[in-house]
Amino acid sequence: MTEDKNLMMDVEYGIDSRYKSDLESVSEASALMEARLRRMKLLSNDQITKAKLLQLKLKMEEFINHPVYDNHNHNHFSNFLTFYIDSIYSKRSIFAKDINVDPVNLSQVLNNHREPKQEFILKLMIHSERVYKDVCSFDNKIWYQIYFNNKICEIMSKQEQWQPEIEKQVRISQLTKV
Amino acid sequence: MKVIDTLTGEKHLVDISPVDMVDFKTLTKDRYFFDWNLEKKQEVFKLLIKGSKDILGLVSIERIPQEWRIHIRLLTVSKENKGSEKKYDRIVGCFIAFIAKMAIREFGELACVSLRSKSEIAQHYMDKYAMHLTGMMLSIEVPEIIDLINFYDND
Repeated sequence: MTEDKNLMMDVEYGIDSRYKSDLESVSEASALMEARLRRMKLLSNDQITKAKLLQLKLKMEEFINHPVYDNHNHNHFSNFLTFYIDSIYSKRSIFAKDINVDPVNLSQVLNNHREPKQEFILKLMIHSERVYKDVCSFDNKIWYQIYFNNKICEIMSKQEQWQPEIEKQVRISQLTKV
Repeated sequence: MKVIDTLTGEKHLVDISPVDMVDFKTLTKDRYFFDWNLEKKQEVFKLLIKGSKDILGLVSIERIPQEWRIHIRLLTVSKENKGSEKKYDRIVGCFIAFIAKMAIREFGELACVSLRSKSEIAQHYMDKYAMHLTGMMLSIEVPEIIDLINFYDND
């Protein structure tokens, strides 16, 4: 049985989409890009916002499932929060008003000059639950997971700095042998 | 994401993960239709029912960040999941949704998943996955890509 007959029997059994040459690839890519740019111009602000919010959710899930312990001092919580606010609002102060927090307080959280209080995160959970309702499924406790994962990343990325001093202060005076 | 047992209608959660080098020994042309060893240098993913070790399908991809696009190079289901007698349905849909999520995560509102298709099967992908056809290239972008992800994620 030839491959084409197989294709007709079940169009989903397989796709061989590999290019035979670079020339083929470049020419098709260029035509596709032109068509995509035309379609992109037709996107509404609402559609763009939904895509950004879905992107944020997927990035947050990725960070929770595969946390990165690097030395770059990224504050993932504030980075994700900044992306969240900027995807929805034209001004961050409007978001501050919507969740009834002081804009200065919000700015300090976003710039890593202040830790978010529990009430702040709870308000964020409620806000994002409402925002994501029409976008995709969203587990609002993800903000807490990001916050605590970020803490773990911070601590583990600086292990070499704190471990020598802390080790001196820890001893095991009794050990029950199993 | 879930596949459906075509006999019982039962839905099974799936895992999609990178193919390990040792897996390639089991990826025969007889069961997976193509020579997957040729894809060893590419990003290749396998689909399994959670808790099972049986590979139900494979996909290889190429990331093209300068075009905000992920191109599906090769995709297949295993032999027993092909045709009207297939054991599980939705394997291909789960793969496309998985790659769509990857594209949205990387490229946001500019995300695109593409594949090339012969004209006789292009219509199927346009109808089933709301893909656009440009020349020989099928693609899915915002807003359809969001609906596809939500459909396969929430079912």
